[in-house]
Amino acid sequence: MNNYKTTVGIEVHAELKTKTKMFSNSANHYGKMANTCTNVIDLGYPGTLPTVNEEAIHLGLRAALVLNCKINKHMHFDRKNYFYPDNPKNYQITQNRTPIGVDGYVLIDTENGKKKIRIHDIHIEEDTCKSIHSDKSSLLDFNRAGVPLVEIVTEADMNSAEEAVKYLEKLRELLLYADVSDCKIEEGSMRCDCNVSVSKTDKLNTKVEVKNIGSISNVGVAIKYEEERQIALYEKNETFKEQTRRFDDKTMSTILMRVKETGNDYRYFPEPDIPFIDLTDEYIEETRKNLPMSAEERRNIYLDAGISKVNVEKIIQNRTVSDYLNKFIGKINLVIASNLLLGDVAAYLNKYEMKLEDTKLTDEKFETVVKYLDSGKINSKIFKDIIEDIMENEESIDEILENHNIKEMGEDELIEIINNVLENNTKSVEDYKNGNERAIKFLMGQIMKETKGNANPVLVTTKLEEMLNK
Amino acid sequence: MSKYLDKSIEELHKLLKSKKIKPIDLVEEAFDRIEKNKDLNCFITLNKEEALKKAKELENLEVDNLFFGIPIAIKDNICTEGLRTTCASKILENFVPIYNATVIDKINEKHMIIVGKTNMDEFAMGSCSKTSYFKAPHNPWNFDKITGGSSGGSAACVSGRLVPLALGSDTGGSIRQPSSHCGIVGMKPTYGRVSRYGLVAFASSMDQIGPMTRNVLENAELLNILCGKDPKDLTSTDKKEEDFTRFIGENIKGMKIAVPNYFVSDIVSSEVRDKFNEIVKLLKDKGCSVDYIDIDYIENAVTLYQILAMGEASGNLARFDGVKYGYSYENPKDLEELYTKTRQIGFGDEVKRRIMVGSYILSGENANVYYDKAMGVRDDIKKSFEKAFKKYDFIIGPTTTTEAYDINEEFNDPSKSFLDDILVIPVNMAGLPGLSLPMGFTNNHLPVGLHIIGNFFEEAKMYKLASFIEKELKLNLDPRGGKDE
Repeated sequence: MNNYKTTVGIEVHAELKTKTKMFSNSANHYGKMANTCTNVIDLGYPGTLPTVNEEAIHLGLRAALVLNCKINKHMHFDRKNYFYPDNPKNYQITQNRTPIGVDGYVLIDTENGKKKIRIHDIHIEEDTCKSIHSDKSSLLDFNRAGVPLVEIVTEADMNSAEEAVKYLEKLRELLLYADVSDCKIEEGSMRCDCNVSVSKTDKLNTKVEVKNIGSISNVGVAIKYEEERQIALYEKNETFKEQTRRFDDKTMSTILMRVKETGNDYRYFPEPDIPFIDLTDEYIEETRKNLPMSAEERRNIYLDAGISKVNVEKIIQNRTVSDYLNKFIGKINLVIASNLLLGDVAAYLNKYEMKLEDTKLTDEKFETVVKYLDSGKINSKIFKDIIEDIMENEESIDEILENHNIKEMGEDELIEIINNVLENNTKSVEDYKNGNERAIKFLMGQIMKETKGNANPVLVTTKLEEMLNK
Repeated sequence: MSKYLDKSIEELHKLLKSKKIKPIDLVEEAFDRIEKNKDLNCFITLNKEEALKKAKELENLEVDNLFFGIPIAIKDNICTEGLRTTCASKILENFVPIYNATVIDKINEKHMIIVGKTNMDEFAMGSCSKTSYFKAPHNPWNFDKITGGSSGGSAACVSGRLVPLALGSDTGGSIRQPSSHCGIVGMKPTYGRVSRYGLVAFASSMDQIGPMTRNVLENAELLNILCGKDPKDLTSTDKKEEDFTRFIGENIKGMKIAVPNYFVSDIVSSEVRDKFNEIVKLLKDKGCSVDYIDIDYIENAVTLYQILAMGEASGNLARFDGVKYGYSYENPKDLEELYTKTRQIGFGDEVKRRIMVGSYILSGENANVYYDKAMGVRDDIKKSFEKAFKKYDFIIGPTTTTEAYDINEEFNDPSKSFLDDILVIPVNMAGLPGLSLPMGFTNNHLPVGLHIIGNFFEEAKMYKLASFIEKELKLNLDPRGGKDE
């Protein structure tokens, strides 16, 4: 069974995060009441004409750039003709001959190092309606009709479910961090269709297209299922026709939708209602220059700052955290800052189901509190005590500390406490002087206990060492 | 009944302005004339109630422009909010748009009064208006003759003096050819001059709306208010506002005119050729130079048109499927039957024929063999014209090869109908402006038109030549022959 080689190619549709639709000015909103974000253009009424959403072209260009594509500077749209109720004009406006980007690639990490997954092309097109089927009838929601999409088509470069999953995770990260799409598979703003075949030789066998896969991990499940299913057929000396199957997440299997009889005849022709679009070199360079910082760049900055690998990945997983953290690069200790954001701050937000921007945590307060933690002016225990105040009150960190009666202990008071501790722990002092380094830790703990955490630990250490060595 | 509607727009404007008449006088007279001539079958839908109401409302407003209160007829493939727009098809028999075409907004801004929607070939596919689901209109010059098409109803209602102005659309001669057969002035402006938003598409890269009028001046005046860049139509062009009447009355001496040999070859009847030759003589007499030239590929224009227009049409008409609007086959057993029966019953033969031809031409390998090649030759035609316009001010010829034929003549050969447009189609291939102007009458006393082709966006110059010839010819273009209605 192991001598079969799997080949996978993937088509991803990602909805662009635009304010309005691709070819009309109705709103591009997910989750609104059915058929409230639509107009006569989206409905394909006679006599209506498309206009081009420049924001969508811009986002499409960004996507093409982060996928390392060559850009078609002189591009147009084409009509793809097919009859289906979710396709209001019975043709879809897409790009067939001049996709915005061609010949790109995405690098993924594999056991054998980096692997290049080639991108055949990325093109801009309009989404269809959402069909809602019931027993007796089918309903159409035109809110989705005309939403701008990019379709990203790979070459058949992946050879396992794992590679496919890695590609999709990487692609999702690239699109998310380029602010192209929110890539929410569960809301349908990112959709994956996989073409899977298995073969004992280098010659590719019949491919099977799997649609309707609701998560990246299920893409892996679907591909594994197909590998096994197809190998089992070949082992029984059975052949099959090219076909489209859908993934069923209840049974975690693929189910036949239709067999492809002949190649699809979409009768493409250039869209006469939309003139050619010219992307100038200046515009392309400007767009490239203004791309938001990629996940890869962010990783490097965080690792250089000393954040642990685990935490770096946690930050990258959460774009909001990463963006927030980036505001403080070069200003504060990023390790402390990220620990707060992933730890106490995240816990607080989870507890109250809030977003960072809904709290009273200003950039200034965050900067101050991280600096205080860094210098030892406060410790993490104090931070835990005052976090609710920080998040809920307008007051500054200093005011909050004052309200809690937390003030840094004066030097005289500290020396008195240290003296007391040393006098009451002569055994440990002895141990220290005999070279037992651990004794100092014990003494530190005693002092901190006495100061109720109000002393600056850095100062305590200095003073303690000074007095022990006297 | 008064005969205000025989007066020029400028005279009517003066009367309205000085409050000697009211808009309602014109509207009532128009409906009176339409009623008396209903046999002509110019209209598919009348807008009587709304028109009278609007005329009344206008009494409270200041007469602020030339077209204030003037009645106009609209071809039934131009969307009018709240007023049925059928495209002369069963499939849109009950379609009432909820939006206006951009040209309709412009007409409403000028407080013109829409009297109704005119008859036409179904989806503008035809050249005699006989493919209309609502039966063909008749030629006011001779009831037994065709009006031409596809804007046959618009041509006939202006020719018959039922309404002074009408809008038509021209994809392959549909304004100019019926204008020639009905003895009126029809302009197909440069592609992009007038917004297509709200014009039900036939072949998007050729469709253009234009004015159809009794004379040249009124044609130029009406074009003044129709044109302009429209953000809703990306193919509309941004041009400086201009007055298309500004050269009217100027001398034409020294103008360089070209006649393509193809336009005076034996595809044109000798009677029409004779009329045309009289015009050539007139122009020479008045100091113009006239050269006979060859324009490469124009003899291929009809073939290209059949490929490109049918291809585009097959896509444009796909939306009529019974799902969203228009005729829908009742109780289909499945989706397939909804589609096939709706379209089988909803469309007429000519429309179905063109959709099938278009689909075939775009299928698989054919797209390369036919469609791509045709697009290439189309570019070449455009270049041939551009070359000619480097040397010449105008290219002229007859608009039609013959006079209007008998309305009962059966046409068994569907490709023959395209030959009616053999002289006008090259203009649509190139996107140039073309105008038809009455140049005389045949022995059967049927009007025939002179076709003036101008360079891109030179409509104003074309009106100058047209108006000069019009003045020289002094034709009596009222088919009622001076008789009382």
